Amino acid sequence: MNTFLAALSSGTSRGAIFALVALGLVIVWRGAGIVNFAQMGQAMFSTYIASTLITNGSSYWVGFFIALLSGAALGALLDLLVMRPLSNKKKNELLSSESMRAAVPVIASLGILGALQALAGILWAAEERGFPAPAKQEGFRVSGTVLPFTSFDLFVVSLVAITLILTTLFFTKTGIGLAMRATALNQEVAKLSGIRTNRTRTISWAISGAASSLAGLLITPTSNLSPNTLDLVLIVGFTAAVVGGLDSPAGAVLGGFILGMVISFITFYDTPEDVFLAILAVLLFVLIIRPRGILGSKDARRV
Amino acid sequence: MLKIENLVTRFGSVIAIDGVSMQAQESKITTVIGANGAGKSTLLRTISGLEHPSSGSITWRGESIIGKRPEDIVRMGIAHVPEGHAVISELSVEENISMGSLFRRRRFKSDVSAAMEEMYELFPRLKERRKQLAGTLSGGERQMLAISRALVSRPQLLLLDEPSLGLAPLVVEQIIDSVNTLCRTTGLSVLLVEQNANTALGVADHGVLLSLGKVVADRPAAELKADAQLRAAYLGY
Repeated sequence: MNTFLAALSSGTSRGAIFALVALGLVIVWRGAGIVNFAQMGQAMFSTYIASTLITNGSSYWVGFFIALLSGAALGALLDLLVMRPLSNKKKNELLSSESMRAAVPVIASLGILGALQALAGILWAAEERGFPAPAKQEGFRVSGTVLPFTSFDLFVVSLVAITLILTTLFFTKTGIGLAMRATALNQEVAKLSGIRTNRTRTISWAISGAASSLAGLLITPTSNLSPNTLDLVLIVGFTAAVVGGLDSPAGAVLGGFILGMVISFITFYDTPEDVFLAILAVLLFVLIIRPRGILGSKDARRV
Repeated sequence: MLKIENLVTRFGSVIAIDGVSMQAQESKITTVIGANGAGKSTLLRTISGLEHPSSGSITWRGESIIGKRPEDIVRMGIAHVPEGHAVISELSVEENISMGSLFRRRRFKSDVSAAMEEMYELFPRLKERRKQLAGTLSGGERQMLAISRALVSRPQLLLLDEPSLGLAPLVVEQIIDSVNTLCRTTGLSVLLVEQNANTALGVADHGVLLSLGKVVADRPAAELKADAQLRAAYLGY
């Protein structure tokens, strides 16, 4: 029973973080049609910024908010400096075929990931360092017994829940949110409606950057920080997004929690060595049964 | 008010618009008719900035609009309803309409909701379905929605591409009637592209006949309608 509770709580808290990563991927995919493999590189970079601030005497929260802001800024910057120039290239230059046009930005994102990791290695040395948590990582006590759920877990889950609610409200209740959804769904109609689609795409990158920075800040207290720590998180987050449906924000969240639970229960009941196998099995299973993902829409493009 | 001169638009080596010169007159309905592949849709898409011409000029109220982006051209008062009931199926009816006035929501706040109410008066069926997803609408309702989306941007010129496509005659009549009324009462100018020449020439003031990217006739609509020779040669009836 205790193992079950422990697996459940760790699954919830990890799942929340994967949901955030998957959401970041989905937002850029819908907004720009790009799978952004640089996403956790951006998160790693902004977490390093927070870490530097905190070790130099800033409070956790100053580091926290600056990391979120720099995550958003870095996302917007990548779009402005790399992705927008690439997508604005004329059809006859370099990117002749449709599949090339789709592939080039994805390859560019891999390049950015490499560059960010190298840069972080130069700036902060490639060794692992710890990252503080704003809440205790000890289980809650109820009449003497220690529960497997820590106050840090509570912090993670509630912060992610708030983020998800705020993003949903932003997308459904505000004008910019409507503009972003319209751009994601049908760029031509959006443009003809007077929506500045270039701008909404940059906002997608910024929001995705902030969301993944938050994921970075929440996962590093339990995994330590190095230029490559978050690679694995990206792989799981990407799997979560594909499982849930790459074009569905709700699917991203669902996929995140599914993966979190699978990983956690395998770790507790089996061995951590089987985690990768399990992730792969879930991915295969969903791709065979429902290739567009659990909540993906019918005409979602192939991945 | 809209003046097109020697316009050429190509897709690779294919010339879709081959030296077209024509005008859309203020507060009038101008129709562009012609067979499939005559370049009618490309003409509208070039005006609204979706396609880039390789030469020629498009002048709107004395200003060249060539090279401007679609989102800027709609801000200048030219709204385009593209072919095929272009609405966003995953958004609600209300969201589809308000999408068209998003860029006006700060400067003309009160007018934005007034414009939406006007659309609901023009097409009451949309009001009944305001919360429904656009994907659940019938073809005719979608066309009404696409037109509403364009109209709430308060255009001076409406570019309407094949509104009759795939619709029952009765619905076509309803939609054409609404546009006609709007033109006559509010002074909206309309550039109507149609394959259904009879319907289009019935409401239009002026007609332009396009064939393989070239203008073959540019005359008052009634005259064009009466010309049996042209009809037989280019429209096949």
